[in-house]
Amino acid sequence: MTPNRPDPQPENSSPPQWADRLLEWFVAPHLREYLQGDLHEAFHQRVAQVGLARARRQYVWAVLHCLTPFFVKRLPPVSVRHTTGYNNEYQPLSNLHPAMLRNYFKIAFRTLGRHKLYTALNLAGLTFGITCFLLIGLYLFDELTFDQQHRNASRIYRVIEHKTVNGEATTLAAGSYKLAQESRKVLAEIENTTRLLRPGRANLINPEHPVNFQETITNADENFLQIFDFPLVLGDKRTALKEPNSIVINQDLARRLFGHTQVLGKTLQFSHMESPLKVTGVLKNHPPNSSFDFNSLVSEASLRTTDYFKQTMTSDWSSTDFSVYLLLKPNVNSQSVSTKLTNLVLANDKPAPGTSLSFSLQSLNDIHLGSEAITDGARNSNVAAMAQGSPFYIRIFGFVALFVLCIAGINYMNLSTARASNRAKEIGVRKSIGAVRSSLVSQFLVETLLLTGISLLLALVLVNVGLPYLNQFVNKQLTLGLGTDYRIWLMTLVAALLIGLLSGSYPALLLSGLRPVLLLKGIKVNPPGSLSLRKGLVIFQFTISTILIISTIVLFRQVQFMNTTSLGFNKDLLVVIDVNTGAARDRFETIKADMAKIPSVKSVSVSSRVPGEWKTIRRVKINTQGKTDAPKIAYLIGADKDFLKTFAVDLIEGRNFINPTDSTAVLLNETAARLLNITKPSDQLVEIPAMSRGGEFGPINDDNTPFKARVIGIVKDFHFQSLHARIEPLVVAYNQNPIHGIDYYSARIEAQGIPETLEKLKAVLVKADGDEPFEFHFLDQQLALFYLEDARRQTLLIWVALATIFIACLGLFGLATYSAEQRIKEIGVRKVLGASVANLASLLSMDFLKLVLIANSIGFPLAWWATNKWLQEYAYHIDLDWWIFALAGLLAIGIALLTVSYQSIRAALTNPVKSLRSE
Amino acid sequence: MKKTILGELEELVLLVVAASTQEAYGVPICEQLQQHTGRSFTIGAVHTTLYRLEEKGFLSSHVGGATAERGGRSKRLFTLTTAGGRVLLDMQQMRSRLWQAIPQAKLQLLGL
Repeated sequence: MTPNRPDPQPENSSPPQWADRLLEWFVAPHLREYLQGDLHEAFHQRVAQVGLARARRQYVWAVLHCLTPFFVKRLPPVSVRHTTGYNNEYQPLSNLHPAMLRNYFKIAFRTLGRHKLYTALNLAGLTFGITCFLLIGLYLFDELTFDQQHRNASRIYRVIEHKTVNGEATTLAAGSYKLAQESRKVLAEIENTTRLLRPGRANLINPEHPVNFQETITNADENFLQIFDFPLVLGDKRTALKEPNSIVINQDLARRLFGHTQVLGKTLQFSHMESPLKVTGVLKNHPPNSSFDFNSLVSEASLRTTDYFKQTMTSDWSSTDFSVYLLLKPNVNSQSVSTKLTNLVLANDKPAPGTSLSFSLQSLNDIHLGSEAITDGARNSNVAAMAQGSPFYIRIFGFVALFVLCIAGINYMNLSTARASNRAKEIGVRKSIGAVRSSLVSQFLVETLLLTGISLLLALVLVNVGLPYLNQFVNKQLTLGLGTDYRIWLMTLVAALLIGLLSGSYPALLLSGLRPVLLLKGIKVNPPGSLSLRKGLVIFQFTISTILIISTIVLFRQVQFMNTTSLGFNKDLLVVIDVNTGAARDRFETIKADMAKIPSVKSVSVSSRVPGEWKTIRRVKINTQGKTDAPKIAYLIGADKDFLKTFAVDLIEGRNFINPTDSTAVLLNETAARLLNITKPSDQLVEIPAMSRGGEFGPINDDNTPFKARVIGIVKDFHFQSLHARIEPLVVAYNQNPIHGIDYYSARIEAQGIPETLEKLKAVLVKADGDEPFEFHFLDQQLALFYLEDARRQTLLIWVALATIFIACLGLFGLATYSAEQRIKEIGVRKVLGASVANLASLLSMDFLKLVLIANSIGFPLAWWATNKWLQEYAYHIDLDWWIFALAGLLAIGIALLTVSYQSIRAALTNPVKSLRSE
Repeated sequence: MKKTILGELEELVLLVVAASTQEAYGVPICEQLQQHTGRSFTIGAVHTTLYRLEEKGFLSSHVGGATAERGGRSKRLFTLTTAGGRVLLDMQQMRSRLWQAIPQAKLQLLGL
């Protein structure tokens, strides 16, 4: 009774084939044969009566009339079929048929409900895995989407200058006025250009309520707001920066200065400018993932009246005073533009012999994570550089997130395959009554997906509980809610689906492939290979856990080391006060003396920079007089005679500064002394011909003569920069030096009554200059900021390690439970024959202990390699001691034992009568 | 149990099956219907009705022989069941009762 019988009728008198096919397609199989037969019979009668053509038309008509739900509806499942006696071919339902899906879900819920312990283990593991994955994912997403608020982000580029002077290469994110001005006219690929200038900091004041507060000055030309999408709440972005003496401020600044944001047309005064500024726009506050952090923008046109700027506008091809951003036309190759840009500059400004110059373009998308080798130029040394992300940590955390998710998935796989024999009978019965493999696979997949779905929901709740803490750690404002970027949701769903499918597919394929006869006979279902596979998975998990434990310990120790190691100076109870106004700088002698008179102040010093400096420390070229070889590069700090005393820096050779006659004297640190081959300071003459200006070296004096100085002393090396960097050569010059004037007062104070001391210090400063805003901080707190990032990452790593271990333990626990269940008869027999509880417990635990030991031996070298590589990033770091590994190993073993022992002991304590009674 | 109601087509089809002396399946039933009522019915409509009647228990069916012009496909042959016969009788009795209730004069008045 096969449907495809040769049609005995000649081809030309048959009904239209397409109608027949349509009929065969939609009519239910159990009705098809009789209906089609009748239709054909009627057709042939009609051919005889009315002719072929009409008969065919009528046939089509008749077929279309059968397009009713009655004929489309398929037969209900098997049982009904048998009773109605419809003798038909076997037609299994599609796996996606609603009835089948309903059944899958029903069975899944029942199975999950019946094995509550396993379900709970699986659920906990998956939930934890997904939670960690989401938390890290959110962090990574935020880091990777920096500066994406700009519509044209992929077309915006930052100009990078590569300069090599006599073999010394500098890479600077900066360019000249003309570069920006001319390139947009000359190069067809460039749609627009904009310049940014960050000349320093000054007090920004609302004249109606004058409160001194320092703000970074940022000058931008009129194109800036058109190239970038910094949304204006008030004002017109096309004209806001056009007029001279216009200023655009953001909402926060507006609230601080005026108390509200309706400030269009109001007046502000920048202390370094003569004319008042008119507010022409209010910017929305920057989103947390923006590289730009300016609070205000002053129109570049405001500068045009100054002589310095007039000169710049006519002839500046060579400076690096501006941050230049280009907006390229769509589909333009940035490589070719940078070549043309280089040629354009070289055509207008020949660099000095020995200097090579080229430009490249850095995409806005790369600024946050791809600027490690680039100095943020075009800014005064008072202005903080653009904050950067660390691609190293992005990679690390990306790996960790995937690992945690993997482990969770592996656990699931592990437990489900381990429990294969528990479900063997079920599968056997299903198969014998006709379940095909694909429907069994679907059933297992539905079970996994259901579990993943529930885990995902739980994870979403957990993430929202955990996010405030994460935000605190990473100093971000991450959220996961309905307003979150759709890409995050997409990622979440894809990850959950993937983990469900991947971890569900192995058990599904394995279990569904077994032969029903064997299953029902109760033959051992787990093929020998699967046990070693499961062991392999446990080893894998514990390897990762071990690595994470070790990394955590190492990171913890390193951070501790950096916080406690001796810096070569005393950082405690030091107040550092910024010098912001000219008066505070010029009258430093009296101010210093007044401060020193405060009883709770032990000593006061003025200096250009302080140890543990966060702003750029000026660098100089230095050479002993008469030497002709290339000058060395050293850092330079200007300081007075109380510097050594105030900071408790040791002088090991020579003498300190005494009085202004020492204005041409310098102290060297040990590293610098070694570099210059000076062992005993004896007024040796050194020449300092050049100093750094915004990343490049330039002559100190206009007539190109070097600054000549005598070496009078050598101080012990101290960490004047963060511990990430090696101690560099340092020159301590007198406070009156031609290279770097004073910028800070530092006062060492008593531990008692700190607030009162601060008040008194402020009074002294304000007395000297009423405009001085008294910005201060404690040096130890400032130093801790260097390691804040490390501390944050440490906390994060600890949590990830804990999560990983937790998940690994869940997996181990499940496996131990299963193994104890499987061996229950063996244990009963052993017990009857006289084995003790301790014997049995150790017998059961041993298996797992072996796995953990193997995991350790794999994890140790890997962890050593990884942590060692990471520690190399720090100039000063701890050693990798063997005890770290031993501790991690013991921890892993201890945790594993604790996990397993509960089940082992419980199994060992069972009364053998119970286990041996049945069968 | 609620008495099953028969639709007009159902009643006609049931009558045709009851009246047929040869094999009763889609095509001849369809022809008979057309012959007696003068209206044409599609095979699909007839099939639907037949299966519905079978479901109601008034007809039973079995698979019958195939012919060449059917492309070798079997026929589903229907026969009247006792329940089917009873429902026809019931219906006829009900109608004749109603017929008898019509006053003679009424139809005559209408000129019939």
